Amino acid sequence: MALKIENLRAYYRSSEAGVATVVRAVDGVNLTIKENEIFGIAGESSCGKTTLIRTLSGTIKPPLEIVGGRVVYDIKEKEVDLFSLRSSEMRALRWKHVAYILQGSMSVLNPVRRVIKTFEDFTEAHERITDRKAFREKVNKHVLDLGLPIDVVTAYPHQLSGGMRQRVAIALATIFKPPVILADEPTTALDVVVQRGVLQLLKDIQRETGNTVVLVTHDMAVHANVADRVGIMYAGRIVEVGAVEDIFQRARHPYTQHLISSLPTIGDRTPRSALPGAPPSLANPPEGCRFHPRCEHAMDVCRREVPPMLEEENGHQTACFWANREAVS
Amino acid sequence: MKNAFLRYIILRVLQCLMVIFVGITVTFMIPRFTPVDPVEQAITRMTMFQQSTHPEALEEMRASLATLYGLEGSVFEQYLGFWGRLFRGDLGPSLSSFPRPVMTLIRTSLPWTAGLLLTSTIIAWSLGNIIGAFAGYFHHKKWSQVLGVMALVVWPIPYYIFAFLLLVLLAYVIPIFPLSGAFAIGSSPGLNWNFISSVLRHGFLPALSIVAIGFGGQFLGMRSLVSNVISEDYILYAEIAGVPNHRILKNYVIRNALLPQITGLALQLGMIFNGAMITEFVFSYPGIGYLAYTAIFSGDFGLIMGIAIFSIVAVALAVLIIDLLYPVFDPRVKLR
Repeated sequence: MALKIENLRAYYRSSEAGVATVVRAVDGVNLTIKENEIFGIAGESSCGKTTLIRTLSGTIKPPLEIVGGRVVYDIKEKEVDLFSLRSSEMRALRWKHVAYILQGSMSVLNPVRRVIKTFEDFTEAHERITDRKAFREKVNKHVLDLGLPIDVVTAYPHQLSGGMRQRVAIALATIFKPPVILADEPTTALDVVVQRGVLQLLKDIQRETGNTVVLVTHDMAVHANVADRVGIMYAGRIVEVGAVEDIFQRARHPYTQHLISSLPTIGDRTPRSALPGAPPSLANPPEGCRFHPRCEHAMDVCRREVPPMLEEENGHQTACFWANREAVS
Repeated sequence: MKNAFLRYIILRVLQCLMVIFVGITVTFMIPRFTPVDPVEQAITRMTMFQQSTHPEALEEMRASLATLYGLEGSVFEQYLGFWGRLFRGDLGPSLSSFPRPVMTLIRTSLPWTAGLLLTSTIIAWSLGNIIGAFAGYFHHKKWSQVLGVMALVVWPIPYYIFAFLLLVLLAYVIPIFPLSGAFAIGSSPGLNWNFISSVLRHGFLPALSIVAIGFGGQFLGMRSLVSNVISEDYILYAEIAGVPNHRILKNYVIRNALLPQITGLALQLGMIFNGAMITEFVFSYPGIGYLAYTAIFSGDFGLIMGIAIFSIVAVALAVLIIDLLYPVFDPRVKLR
């Protein structure tokens, strides 16, 4: 186990003109992510993916609030509860143990500083650089190992292409070879050719260091390509988790089935069906199973109760009364 | 690369010279389009108390005055003569304190203005930007909000009211500082402690008034620039990576937010040669602003033109310098 999420609830609280609104972006998520795997988190826009991964990185700034639950990291065989850490401990944990690649990594580099300077800043936040020359060589080697041209080190961010900037951001996140890498939509703004390169880079890093990558993206094709296991998120909750083959070939939750069947297949020219309706507002989510208003299999129980997460086999879990109807009845 | 760089500089210098040329030409033309004829004015002044003057003598006087004022011949000939004298550093005589040359008047006033405005502008700019950056970065802290409110209260006070208030309070009600002038009457200018302390004491109130108002503007400007910059991804990312606050503030926040402020400073420094008319008037400070004020009220075209030319050259040079230096501050701007 690399990290464990227990009944995590993270809400955005704000009040405007005395009217308090609570957006339940992450509402009761349970997940166990293993060591040495790429775990994909999939779901539509505004289903809480980014909030989940941000919470995992410990970046909790108002209006985001942790309402309940735990995030436990396994650090050198010891369980560490993320939210019990003091800010200095949190600072030590970040980058050394958990690195975070932000959504929209194109603009994460300081425009007026050379890339090497950003490497210096990020490194010096955690350890003293005594020998600048040796450090420079270390960065050069790291960058070369990742297959990037050496010039990026001395370049300014605006001199790099979008794909290159994304790769530099990944290089920056992996300078300490952290056991856990959280990547939020690392390929979203890139064209498919560049996407492939960036994904291959992430995959190579993972293979080489044997660490854990949590990869958030709405792009199911990316999950099919790189993830070992996938969690499907819908309206702030995980509705299905399983090995990538199980998800793509034996999806059990109606929402997952819709996601998969909407993907184009080579040679199949039949029109793809779209899921009717829109995702619910997280400020006022439906009772019971949050998918029931859009679900063609909805039963009475779905409107009243939250479906429990039940395991079928091989770690394939689904939170759906309909999919689990044999097991329940 | 080297060639392109050189070409860029030459181009910019030419552009700057062009601006100066056009500006000076316009200042030359404008008085000539006004219906006021300085020669006739001078004649009227001189003949006011005389019963009669010989017409031939009058004609002779008119001619010699025209030569003196540079008003001989056609406008084009005057224009050429004007440039010729300008290159020799001759701006002609002042009409109101005739026959002292405009150049001498400006030369005596300029050090006072430059000394006062240079120090107070730089102090206001540095203080406003540093404190504004801190206030913007720690915007949720109590002291930052208090400072913000204070700046918002002081800044919109019309400058002349604020300056008068200072003068009345600190020179009249509580007479700590002198009421007017740039140094005590009777002290001889020179590098002695008496004179220097007198200059500092006389300059304090005008400087304070400029710093206080200038600080408010710089503070508010920088604070809002910073609050834009801190929502950028690269700040959040550096914070997540655990880069210490002071380093983020210095290398990430201020470095980026300061860019537009640098342009502002350069322009302000160029404007110094305009003088600070209201400041110098309120505190009777013998600088360029005061000189310009008296020139305007006595219709002293020569002097007005002289001051205008100085300020055109200063602003154009300030813009040129900032253009050439900007790539040092912002690597995205390349000399091309």
